[in-house]
Amino acid sequence: MLNENIETAHQSDCIISTSRLTKAFGKLVAVNDLHLEVMRGDVFGFLGPNGSGKTTTIRMLLGLIRPTAGRVVMFGMDNTYQLPAILQRVGAIVETPVFYPYLSGSDNLFAVAAASGMRSGKANRRRVEEVLELVELRAQAKMAYRKYSLGMKQRLGIASALLTDPELVMLDEPTNGLDPSGMFEIRLLIHRLAALGKTIFISSHLLNEVQQVCNKVAILQKGNLIRQGNVNELLRGNEQVLVRLNSTEETQSALNMLRAARERGADWISDIRIEADRYGKPALRVDAPKARSAEINALLASNNLFASELHPYEGSLEEVYLQLTTPSTNGGRRGMAELAAGAYVAPVGTAPNAPFASDGASDRKAGQP
Amino acid sequence: MNISPQVPGSVEGQIDYPTSHSSIILGRQDYLSVVMRLIGMELYKLRRRRMSKVIGSIAIALALLPFLLVAFGTYVTANQPAQDFMPTCQSQPVSGNQPQVGQPNCPTLSPAQAAALRQASVQATSSPLRLPDSLNIAVQFALIAGTILVIILVGTVAGGEYSTGTIRLLFIRGPTRTQYLLGKLGASFAIIFVGLLLMAILGVLAGQLFNPLSGFAQSSSFWSIGWFGHMLLYLLIAMFNWFMFAAMAIFFATLGRSTVAGVVGGITWFFVEPILGSLLALVGFFNHGSLGDFLKAIPDYFIMNNFNALLNDQSQSLFGSSTIPTVSSIHAIIVLLVYFALFIGLAWWINQRRDVTN
Repeated sequence: MLNENIETAHQSDCIISTSRLTKAFGKLVAVNDLHLEVMRGDVFGFLGPNGSGKTTTIRMLLGLIRPTAGRVVMFGMDNTYQLPAILQRVGAIVETPVFYPYLSGSDNLFAVAAASGMRSGKANRRRVEEVLELVELRAQAKMAYRKYSLGMKQRLGIASALLTDPELVMLDEPTNGLDPSGMFEIRLLIHRLAALGKTIFISSHLLNEVQQVCNKVAILQKGNLIRQGNVNELLRGNEQVLVRLNSTEETQSALNMLRAARERGADWISDIRIEADRYGKPALRVDAPKARSAEINALLASNNLFASELHPYEGSLEEVYLQLTTPSTNGGRRGMAELAAGAYVAPVGTAPNAPFASDGASDRKAGQP
Repeated sequence: MNISPQVPGSVEGQIDYPTSHSSIILGRQDYLSVVMRLIGMELYKLRRRRMSKVIGSIAIALALLPFLLVAFGTYVTANQPAQDFMPTCQSQPVSGNQPQVGQPNCPTLSPAQAAALRQASVQATSSPLRLPDSLNIAVQFALIAGTILVIILVGTVAGGEYSTGTIRLLFIRGPTRTQYLLGKLGASFAIIFVGLLLMAILGVLAGQLFNPLSGFAQSSSFWSIGWFGHMLLYLLIAMFNWFMFAAMAIFFATLGRSTVAGVVGGITWFFVEPILGSLLALVGFFNHGSLGDFLKAIPDYFIMNNFNALLNDQSQSLFGSSTIPTVSSIHAIIVLLVYFALFIGLAWWINQRRDVTN
């Protein structure tokens, strides 16, 4: 009985559930045996390289294409049989949103409103103005859509997705074509929608954006789901503590001491190694939860080893993503952590890697906790 | 009226629909209301489109054009000197082998008789300006030139969604694909209904406007309840003719996922069918025996031949036409309904099964 109740509660909170979802275009399997679960209130990031099957999955969820096999259940309804009822509760943009070029932004929204079950004509003028205001297009409401910039088109797409105040908002690459301030606005908007209890399903290449707004992610590669879960849990596995000591000897002693500690039972340390930074100076990289930084410091201090620098590093979604989707060429996780951390640290005995050292994107994140 | 959306029957585990934002005014959600709203949306888009305004202007010009030409002809005829209507042998100097005035083949006409001849010519020339002939001219002209405009307009309405990619936008908003197709068909029918009536009424009015040039009054002797009934049938058949080509444009646009496919498919059919019909008749004429008969019978199953049969049937009662249809009305109706069902059915089937990947 208790199990049944738990099951029912789970079902009632499950907004999207796919089982064995598969789509093949001839011999090409675009999506293979996909099991996704998005719960009410989730801000769900859907990640994957180009051609991994993200848009195909979104199209199947929205009934634009039929699955070759498997099932999609949204709001407890099977989308094969109850698609109209499902779509009434969903606002979505799929790829670059497209509207009627000869209509203005507001006229396009009036047309979308009529197609969405809202009353025709100007009855919904207030709502149209609200959503235009929300995406900061009110001043361009009367401008013909064909004159809109890419960013404005994207924002109009988001406005149309929000028009009916849907429970589930599905955004396929919503920040495409937006400038940094536009991206920031969208991020704020997503936070605001999430605070209102909306469920948000967002597909994006911008992992930093996803990390900032999503609580759950799924990562696709070549049509296969390779990871799904809570963002914090995914990142937890990548937490590291970077320790710099005053000399190579001290660094070596610290390495030996921490290894001994691990053997004595400090199993929260998963790996320890010495690596060289871009200037060739050694540093100690400890794969351990960042919450253990103080403990590491205390252990070192108890052995008269005093860290000159200690960086707790939580890892990034980018690292997790690249580890999972890129063939390992530089030690997998380690290499990616270095890339994301910015201050390149090469394994001892190898020359510093210039391309990484000069990477502006890496510098951007240097020193990030 | 603010009606909450109707959610289909509850299923096990289905999650309740939450209260919507207060500024959202929902319409009725029953099947017909959704279709009506989609028709409204299509017409709204058309109204805001420059192309439909251009096509509308062309249609008005085309409706007026034949009557302007007839009025011009009437004016020229009415203003010709009466002697121009005398036999050539009388009005021109005698030369060579021409008959002599007063001989049986060159009757002598008085100026009054010549004037009467001119009047008769004016009456004949101006006849299309007056009812019932003006209706015939207006509708026949609409069926020739207007059909092309209908194909262009409906082909754009249906294929434009694929060409611009807005089909994605429409298919994720709630209504079913069948409702979308019905919306397109409904909007096409509305355009056709208004368009044909407008062209017919404009033509008849233009005729009445120019008719005083002829000096002949509009007769009402043709008028009867029966005539009115035939006129309604005639207009309905003409509308069905346009609607058939609209259905064809929708089918081709859906099949080819583009405006070009819809327009080119429809116009090609419009021009190729009569040519093919003539060729088959010609080949059939030179091939005696069963093959020839078979080839000659094929055009009886062509769209326009069947519409012509139905229109001719009504023309006999309306305009006293003596053209005898080659096929019976029942045959024509059955053939046309089969074509119509085929175009709509195939468009529906493709629309239902298609993956929207563009």
